Amino acid sequence: MQASNAELAGRAMTARRGTDIFNDHQQVICRRTDRMFAVLLTLQWLAGIAAAYWISPTAWAGTTSQTHPHVWAAVLLGGAISALPIVLALTQPGHVSTRYTVAVGQMLMGSLLIHLTGGRIETHFHVFGSLAFLSFYRDWRVLVPATLIVAADHFLRGVFWPQSVYGVLTVSEWRWLEHAGWVLFENTFLVIAIRRSVSEMWDIAERTAESEDLNAELERRVLERTVQLRTANRELGAKVVEHSSAEEALRDSEARYRLLFESNPFPMWVYDLETLGFLAVNDAALHRYGYSRAEFLTMAIKDIHPAEDVPALLANVSRVFKGLDEAGAWRHQLKDGTIIDVEISSYPLTFAGRQSELVLASDITARKQAEEALRQSEEQLRQSQKMEAVGKLAGGVAHDFNNLLTAITGYSDLSLRRLKPDEPLYHNLVEIKKAGERAAGLTRQLLALSRKQILQPKVLDLNQIIFETNKMLQRLIGEDIDLLVGLAPDLGKIKADPSQIEQVLLNLSVNARDAMPQGGKLTIETTDVYLDEDYVGRHAAVRAGHYVVLAVSDTGCGMDAATQARIFEPFFTTKEVGKGTGLGLSTVYGIVKQSGGNVYVYSEVGHGTTFKVYLPRVDQPAAELSAGPVETAQPLGCETVLLVEDEEMVRHLAKEILQENGYQVLEAQHGRAALYIAEQHQGPIHLMLSDVVMPQMSGRALAEQLGQLRREVKVLYMSGYTDDAIVHHGVLDEGMAFIEKPFSPAALARKVREVLDTPVTV
Amino acid sequence: MRCPQKKIEAQRKPWPKRIRLLLPVTMLWLATVGCGLWLLWGYENTPGVAAQPPGDWPTDSRLQRAPDRATLVMLAHPHCPCTRASIGELAQLMAHAQGRVTAYVLFLKPAGFADDWEQTDLWQSAARIPGVTALIDDDGAEAQRFHAATSGQTILYNAAGRLQFSGGITSARGHAGDNAGRSAIVALVNAGAAQQTETSVFGCPLFNPESVCRRPEHASK
Repeated sequence: MQASNAELAGRAMTARRGTDIFNDHQQVICRRTDRMFAVLLTLQWLAGIAAAYWISPTAWAGTTSQTHPHVWAAVLLGGAISALPIVLALTQPGHVSTRYTVAVGQMLMGSLLIHLTGGRIETHFHVFGSLAFLSFYRDWRVLVPATLIVAADHFLRGVFWPQSVYGVLTVSEWRWLEHAGWVLFENTFLVIAIRRSVSEMWDIAERTAESEDLNAELERRVLERTVQLRTANRELGAKVVEHSSAEEALRDSEARYRLLFESNPFPMWVYDLETLGFLAVNDAALHRYGYSRAEFLTMAIKDIHPAEDVPALLANVSRVFKGLDEAGAWRHQLKDGTIIDVEISSYPLTFAGRQSELVLASDITARKQAEEALRQSEEQLRQSQKMEAVGKLAGGVAHDFNNLLTAITGYSDLSLRRLKPDEPLYHNLVEIKKAGERAAGLTRQLLALSRKQILQPKVLDLNQIIFETNKMLQRLIGEDIDLLVGLAPDLGKIKADPSQIEQVLLNLSVNARDAMPQGGKLTIETTDVYLDEDYVGRHAAVRAGHYVVLAVSDTGCGMDAATQARIFEPFFTTKEVGKGTGLGLSTVYGIVKQSGGNVYVYSEVGHGTTFKVYLPRVDQPAAELSAGPVETAQPLGCETVLLVEDEEMVRHLAKEILQENGYQVLEAQHGRAALYIAEQHQGPIHLMLSDVVMPQMSGRALAEQLGQLRREVKVLYMSGYTDDAIVHHGVLDEGMAFIEKPFSPAALARKVREVLDTPVTV
Repeated sequence: MRCPQKKIEAQRKPWPKRIRLLLPVTMLWLATVGCGLWLLWGYENTPGVAAQPPGDWPTDSRLQRAPDRATLVMLAHPHCPCTRASIGELAQLMAHAQGRVTAYVLFLKPAGFADDWEQTDLWQSAARIPGVTALIDDDGAEAQRFHAATSGQTILYNAAGRLQFSGGITSARGHAGDNAGRSAIVALVNAGAAQQTETSVFGCPLFNPESVCRRPEHASK
């Protein structure tokens, strides 16, 4: 019920509003029409004056004339007729009385104009036109006074001046109705038109009222919605502010991370996991890799990898897709082709909508080089320690071995001298001697590889040594191998033990021969080189300077990297059991190292091997090499020799050899005994033949003390192994006489004679 | 008890001030305008001096009367605006007479006026009407022969020279349209008889009032 009442009230309100709108509209129309008639009446008045003045300006009477009464009528009567309607239309527009007055005035003006134009039938149309104009008011009641004026005009004139209206003096009293009838005829249509127009105005007013209601409702809803929107807007604004703050924070964060990316000292980039193309790259990468940013962004990740690493890279990328990214060490290629080692740290991300990976590359080239150098150093240290251990072992046994071998070979030699070759024991003694000599060779090799042997270095011409050993080498390598020798002219000199250098040459040649069982070419070359700091930087334990290079190359089977790594190890051999001792190349290594040089091997499987021996060059003239021990008649003597040897077998052997050669021998078991004998002996002592390594007192100390007792005594040391008593780093002191154990009787006799014959230098 | 009170209140309710002010103004206006129109109508319907033409064609007239048909003579002032309607009615009349009448329009030309004083639009209009001859009436001599005093005076003589009609052919001053004079002449020409043989003349005096206008009256006496 309440809703219904509200609806009825709304409808009533709408109806009232419709009425108001209609009235307002009609008022507007009436006001507008009033103004129109104000203008029209004014124009009609002026037109009447003009017509009167034009049609009948003057009235004549014979030869005299005066203003025509029509002119006065047009001015005065026309003005009177128009005045009130014009005033009301201008001052009181819209009032009913105004439009009635206008209607009366308009019809009276029509009557006046008809008169002024001489009653022309055309002027009568003014009546019908005026009625049509009056219908503009859309008020049919206005037509009533207008029609009455017309009817009255005709009625009154018909009554008082019938001929002026109908042309006859006597007419029917209802004749005026004929004229009025035509006016009513027009009025009929006008009234119909007015009613329709008014009806339409009502419709418009009602629709307008309804529209206003709808608009009001719409405005109410708009207002309501506006309030909602404002509320939502405020909330949205708050969210926008919040979002802006978040965006600002995000921008700051992005800026910071961009700064971290762009300013990072490590090369960084982002690449597309699908296309592998670079999407972003920082300045450090540009600087390190040598590409411009534009170049980088047109490249793919594989373009900075060596071609051989690309398959591994692609495999890694596929693992990244599966979430199995493997960061680690990679090789990268710079724009200038340089290969560097990098350690990659990567992180998958979405960059510009692409599935990508952020990569940080840390250049570890220097670190790897350092690691390699360290590894080599460690290897060398390990090798040195191993060699030191071997050396200690060899040194430890060499002393006793050499004493034993001295006795074996010495007594064998002495016994052979006393037997005839056809005697049954002769051959046995020969074999014993050979075995002793072979054992002595092994002992020498052990000392050589452990760099414990005693060197007697001289300034040498390497070319001359090669030249002198050429024939022996030719015999050694056999006929299936061509020996090619390329010696550099004016080759620099080296300082080394010539016998040891020959040993190096022989060992390398034998090794080459064994690598070419089917034959081939053995090339021996010499040359001078200067190893600069760059070379030194890439090779550990090498000093910069001038070197003489001995290169021994073969065209044999070559070696793989594993073999090369162990080639200088003692007792390492690739030869069949029984064919190699595994000491040849380690002996070379020991001799070269002990001589201050280096040896390197370059080999490719199936192509051959080259050993390069670098020996320091010296700027001294080469010494004349002795032609070697010549087996001449045993030199004899009569001098007194003080023999000091703690090893009884060796001491007895030496005594026997010396006495056999005519010398007087004073025998002592150790240093103190020797000093005592020297003090007690009345005669001269010409030579002291002493062991070097002895308990209580070394041979060197003994010689020094003996020198204080007997300044004339010459000293000849004998030893199979030395510590630092008479040698330093294996090199015999300058001017020191020495014979190496094991020695032969002849060698001892020659050496004793040689020392005794050497003039004393003061 | 209540009804009488309401009636009393309704009777006492005054008109709006605007109506009270407008009503007398409107009445005054209507009265003024009514008087003006009454005067105008009076002016227009007041006829001029009617002529008393001779019963037979004046022999001293310089006009040539048609022996075989009626002869119509209109006396006109060339500058009278009211006569324009008479010329217009003459054109209508001549159309209805269908060649059975000879018509003359005599335009007054007082002595001493310029030669073309009479050459007005009325002259041109009259001269253009078929069967009508426009002539100058020097110093109103012919008007005096026919005893005419008002412009638009129309006189009809039959073929025998007998007066048939005398009067105006407009219903009011300068007012065109059907009128008794025209209807009578047309009837006389076409049928030989008419209900009226005299009508009022509406137009300007042909002669100055103090002299000429009295002459017809004097002459009629």
